[in-house]
Amino acid sequence: MDTAFKGEHLLPGHLGQFFIILSFGSALLAAISYFFAASEKNDPNSSWKRIARYSFFVNTISVVGIGVCLFYIIYNHLFEYHYAWEHSSKSLPVYYIISSYWEGQEGSFWLWCFWQAVLGNVLVWKAKSWESPVMAVICLSQALLASMLLGVQVFGARIGSSPFILLRDALDLKASAPIFAARPDLYKNYLSYITDGNGLNPLLQNYWMVIHPPTLFLGFASMVVPFAYAIAGLWQKRYKEWVQPAISYALFAVMVLGTGVIMGSFWAYVSLNFGGFWAWDPVENAALIPWLTLIGAVHVMIVYKNTGHSYFTATFLVLISFILVLYASFLTRSGILGDTSVHAFTDLGMFWHLVVDVVVFLIIAIVLVVIRWKELPINKKEEDTYSREFWMFVGAVFMALSCLQLVIVTSIPVWNSIFGTNIAPPNNPVTLYNVFQAGFAVVVTLLTGITQFLKYKKTDSSRVLITGAIYLVLAAVITSLVVYVSGIYHIRVVFSLVMLGAVYTILSNIKVFTDALKGKIKLAGSAVAHIGFGLILVGAVIAAGTSKVVSINNTGEQYSADFAKRNDPRENIMLYKNQPLKMGDYLVTYFGDSISMPNHYFKVDYKLMGDDGKVKEEFVLKPNSQANKKMGLVSSPDTKHYFLHDLYTHVTMAPIRYEEDDPTGGGGAAHSEANDDQNYDAPIAHEVAVGDTIRFRDGYIVLTGLDKSAKVENITLGQNDVAVGAQLKVVSNGKIYDAEPIFMLKDKRQFDFARKVEDAGLKLRFSRVLPDKAKVEISVYQQPESKKSYIVMKAIEFPYINFFWSGTIIMVIGFLMSIFRRNKELKTV
Amino acid sequence: MIAIAIAVIIATYSKASSYGSFADAKKANTDIQIIGHLDKQKELYYDARKDANYFSFYVRDTDKMECKVIYTGAPLQDFKRSEQIVLTGHMEGNEFHARKILMKCPSKYKQDKVETTANTSKI
Repeated sequence: MDTAFKGEHLLPGHLGQFFIILSFGSALLAAISYFFAASEKNDPNSSWKRIARYSFFVNTISVVGIGVCLFYIIYNHLFEYHYAWEHSSKSLPVYYIISSYWEGQEGSFWLWCFWQAVLGNVLVWKAKSWESPVMAVICLSQALLASMLLGVQVFGARIGSSPFILLRDALDLKASAPIFAARPDLYKNYLSYITDGNGLNPLLQNYWMVIHPPTLFLGFASMVVPFAYAIAGLWQKRYKEWVQPAISYALFAVMVLGTGVIMGSFWAYVSLNFGGFWAWDPVENAALIPWLTLIGAVHVMIVYKNTGHSYFTATFLVLISFILVLYASFLTRSGILGDTSVHAFTDLGMFWHLVVDVVVFLIIAIVLVVIRWKELPINKKEEDTYSREFWMFVGAVFMALSCLQLVIVTSIPVWNSIFGTNIAPPNNPVTLYNVFQAGFAVVVTLLTGITQFLKYKKTDSSRVLITGAIYLVLAAVITSLVVYVSGIYHIRVVFSLVMLGAVYTILSNIKVFTDALKGKIKLAGSAVAHIGFGLILVGAVIAAGTSKVVSINNTGEQYSADFAKRNDPRENIMLYKNQPLKMGDYLVTYFGDSISMPNHYFKVDYKLMGDDGKVKEEFVLKPNSQANKKMGLVSSPDTKHYFLHDLYTHVTMAPIRYEEDDPTGGGGAAHSEANDDQNYDAPIAHEVAVGDTIRFRDGYIVLTGLDKSAKVENITLGQNDVAVGAQLKVVSNGKIYDAEPIFMLKDKRQFDFARKVEDAGLKLRFSRVLPDKAKVEISVYQQPESKKSYIVMKAIEFPYINFFWSGTIIMVIGFLMSIFRRNKELKTV
Repeated sequence: MIAIAIAVIIATYSKASSYGSFADAKKANTDIQIIGHLDKQKELYYDARKDANYFSFYVRDTDKMECKVIYTGAPLQDFKRSEQIVLTGHMEGNEFHARKILMKCPSKYKQDKVETTANTSKI
């Protein structure tokens, strides 16, 4: 049916597509077989279970097979495939091929599928009596994920989007490339015209982008496990037992998802120009929401395990967390966030498919809860107000409520599309979120602190009040110090209260930790995690609350008197090359460039000036930009990390050339010489002998010698031809450069090859030889002031941000310790 | 708990507003959000030598009304290619002063133009 096209490699695509269909089919079969196996409780090794295991095994193999085929296609630059063409290019280094692998939606769905397959195998191995019901849910999820990759036509509608679709099928080549419309005979050779792919967005060319998505998707994928346990608990009526194994998996999911989210935030901090580590972008919120609900869930599950209280809340939070993961993937992948988010995906025609994914699991959860409602072990007895479980429960519910606000605001585009309204998101979303979330954080952190002094069931109230109060006073003292020193009293009071809560959390958990050191170290996990959480908040509040723009600029021309008054402070400064400028406490100089294609690094020298006018400290930052022809000027910041603060520098604008242009200039590009000369003032010709000096605006040039055997690339000289180079030493602004313009006689015609000294704004020509005077003529072209190179940059100081990052690491360690502890409990029970 | 939930919802919606037009912005004295398209025929002005924090351009809103927009800052990445932009800011005389600009560039993720390179050696 297809006409043969030259040079196409169809095998990897066919194989990949076969694996996709196989993975979908096998996941579906596994789900069905596990469903029946779960119903046959009496026979632990029923034939249903054997079928289920085999098909899940086949599913794992085929998911790996999809990955291998896709990698083969991208790695070998098979641009006949749309995915490779769209997301990669030949110049991409191997480790970024990995990032281009998941730049697209299909790749990231595959990643999710892969992790879910890995987790499934762990469960087959470990889950024992839970295997069938839990795996039934996971295989259903696996089948739905695989369906996203199908890309097959069913009744005229395309289901899913396959990464193996061919470029000529995905795009109408004849319409988009006029050459094929004009000459249809060339069409079967189309591949020889497509020599490179679109390449990876330069912002994603960062090593964090190699590891952030896998971590995040492992987090998303592992959220299904506690969900599956909760469903299995309801389904099999094992209301009490499911919590115990599910806690470990929930802790794992929370740990990995949290790490993934913070990695993304670190990526945004080091390579995006958001000017910070958290922007409350809908895409960020979408990942944060399920994390918060599952954190709440973990706490309530522990309450239930210890006291038998809060069964319904535990189940509800576990169920809703996974539903929110699916909802997050709907938000980010359906294109619905287009007007509110900077970096959501656009619609791939899977809007309803994604809705179905959410709805299927939502219905399963609701139906099961409703059917089992009467049997649920809901404890009617009131909890004691002086018990740990009561306040843990309250804290968890507050955490879930904080999500409610995030969900409502983030979903504004969804409400608009459901109700046909035209609501705009808040004008100041960051302030709104900060204040709201800070309010919840105050309650949550204070409770995290106080519950450390309480015991399950019943606590001796007077002792608790006393120790709790002592620590609170201590926390208040430390907080007022911190608030005073860091200057957060300048911002809203609520942030100082968060600080109090965070410090209180840290202090009381340090107490728990030291107690644990004396006795049972295994109990220290939660304390460590809480300390980390407190540190994260401390770092976030100070860094975000008191970050200040260092590069305030009030030198610009006044366009209107009101303009500066009502607008934000002017945050960009312009630096001419080699012209120092005072910026805050620093003297900054843009003094050079280094180009490693496609990145253009601007070297900016910082001198920290003391009061006595002496240089206290000096360092160089190299923010870079990529003048990418497809994506425009893309900049990445550079940051000076101190122990207590960071100085962040980011180039917002620079007149740099696009990648295709030769960055070194010069060469023998004679045809563009005339244009190029327009960039310079009219040349001045100097007749000089060896040893003579030529003066120009910024310095002088010395002719040090003549090179009789000069060579010009790609030009071979005949017997009667001559090429002479003028060896010039250029001294400009106290710096020394060398240049060798060349004069050439070839086939009795004169040529000359100019050389540029970009840093000095010079172009030098060896324009004539004057044998009778024993001199040569050097023409000096100078750049006018207005053509001098410059950069526009922004510098921000982030104080105490290291608390934020170190808090994350400590929290992860705490989670790990807790997981080990809960796993030990599993074996003994 | 329910009371808090309701308070959250009400507080959130009291902060929310509608997308408006330049005509609305003239009437309102507060910040407003406008969805529009960049007029690519007209000049995008930015000259770092004169002022590194002054960027002006023209936007046509959904009512097809055109207005000069001024942004205190440097041009955004790939601004010329934006298909749709959301501006947050206020009107000042006949100029709209944008505090925040959000661009939508589907082209960044989905490119419909195929670049062909004449590769004569292979033909």
